[in-house]
Amino acid sequence: MAISVKQLHPLFVGEVSGIDLRKPVDAATASDIVAAADRHAVLVFHGQTLTDEQQIAFSRLLGPLETTIKAYRPGHKPRLDLHISDVSNLDEESRVLAGDDRRRMLGLGNRLWHTDSSFKAIPARYSLLSARAIPGDGGETQFADMRAAYDALSDAMKARLEGLVAEHSVLYSRSTIGFSDFTDEERTKLPPVPQLLVRVHPGSKRRTLYLASHAGWIRGMQIPEARMPLRDLMEHATQREFVYTHRWQVGDLVLWDDRCTMHRAREYDMTQVRDMHRTTVSDEVSSLEQAA
Amino acid sequence: MAIAVRQLHKLFVGEVSGVDLRQPPDAAMLAGIVAAADRHAVLVFRDQHITDQQHIAFSRTFGRLETTIKAYRPGFKGRLDPHVADISNLDEEGGVLAPDDRRRMNSLGNRLWHTDYTFKDTPGKYSLLSARVIPAEGGETQFADMRAAYDALPDAMKARIERLVAEHSLLYSRGTIGFTDFSAEERARVPSAPQVLVRVHPGSGRKTLYLASHAMLIHGMPVPEGRILLRDLMEHATQPEFVYTHRWRVGDMVMWDNRCTMHRAREYDVRQVRELHRTTVMEEASTLPRRHPRLREDDDGAARMTTHSV
Repeated sequence: MAISVKQLHPLFVGEVSGIDLRKPVDAATASDIVAAADRHAVLVFHGQTLTDEQQIAFSRLLGPLETTIKAYRPGHKPRLDLHISDVSNLDEESRVLAGDDRRRMLGLGNRLWHTDSSFKAIPARYSLLSARAIPGDGGETQFADMRAAYDALSDAMKARLEGLVAEHSVLYSRSTIGFSDFTDEERTKLPPVPQLLVRVHPGSKRRTLYLASHAGWIRGMQIPEARMPLRDLMEHATQREFVYTHRWQVGDLVLWDDRCTMHRAREYDMTQVRDMHRTTVSDEVSSLEQAA
Repeated sequence: MAIAVRQLHKLFVGEVSGVDLRQPPDAAMLAGIVAAADRHAVLVFRDQHITDQQHIAFSRTFGRLETTIKAYRPGFKGRLDPHVADISNLDEEGGVLAPDDRRRMNSLGNRLWHTDYTFKDTPGKYSLLSARVIPAEGGETQFADMRAAYDALPDAMKARIERLVAEHSLLYSRGTIGFTDFSAEERARVPSAPQVLVRVHPGSGRKTLYLASHAMLIHGMPVPEGRILLRDLMEHATQPEFVYTHRWRVGDMVMWDNRCTMHRAREYDVRQVRELHRTTVMEEASTLPRRHPRLREDDDGAARMTTHSV
């Protein structure tokens, strides 16, 4: 079955129709989806009311899945399969988290621009986020096209960035919002990792800024000297012309390419339920080793 | 002579002509400048080639001047009068600072959006910045109109932030860019200070967001929740439509109202000289209502910055 794709933003984001993700997807369709992702970076599938098993099965067609880092915490009690990241404001018994719950504070980190798992030596390739319950208002997810952001940099800035290596740490990004409640075990399992600041996307061959709020340092620079350009680049890359805002409907599945986008969640009324399930496909290789 | 004002941005910023800053203004001119500042928030005076003494004398007509906080550091050797903040990349002998010089790292903090001296109980009212030497490219100063930013907030957000108090700390804002090289004496002399988040500008009667990168937490909120709110407000307030970019000419004097603007410096080639001199006229009192409780000892921002436990 052929899929069709309608572009939702002047630069990127394809709305995909003609597919039912509850059913097995054949190899030809999977490769069409990869081709659409190479071009549009973010794909929106409406009306896909998936079970976790169906979401996992579809995601696995695109590569090996990551497991949630929340399981690094001793005593973690998951609601969901380890291959599903629980992007919700619910506790293990599906009750809305208290206003000051540690997990809610940790979840606020999702409101910072980032791309998934850039703080892992082998980062994410794709993330797939499925909307199960959404609040009445707010809670949108925004995406930034980092290829277009790169293209719009001055030639002098492009030359300056080429070959630079940033260090990414989830402990760092969380510390910027004053969250530092991690155990020694979590800290040991989440050391800063190096990532190229400019990478070439293997599918589209386009150069892209590889940036996240996890990036706290550029190798070879003093920290303040590194943080200022990282901030300036973040501001550049998230200008409104590069940003698409996704207003969720229950049943939406959004797939994005973590290699060439950033995303963040927007505010919502935390007394309402927002339940999203994410699978994450690993990139299988570090950005440092990925040949241009 | 009467002053004339031409607005440079659709929301704010007045270019003032008919004033010679070498002479302290008379009462009528002073009132005219204050009225223009109340309306435009940022005033640009062109071709004012003044000495530091003239700069200080003119500034003093608006109120008490602050002395530079750089002098809090033991062994500090100032190039300039202590009432003049040395906004340059020069050392005490007028040589360009080495790329890794501590002073250069510290001054990178000026590239963060802020308004002057919110980290003091009694904060800055007006700052007056005079361009002596400018680089060939870059080094602009950007200003954000915080009255317009406030006006553009949704009503629900206005209601939510109406009575909030933020804690401001210079050590915090420098910490966000990884700069922590302050002596014990400097730390003791720049404690954090509380400021209301929404204030009414006494000259214009307009409500304004009172925000800076120094704002590290909101009283009564868990730190991460306060920080995210502060970040969202910062992003809102610095959208392109609220921002004026000042491209400096030698001889420009720019005077801004710290109560209703933010500003930041932009990047330039630090091997070239950029030398600006700034005076800051202080407000008369804290922004807090008189009976507002201070942060308690066990609610100290510095402690909560590094530990969040529930």
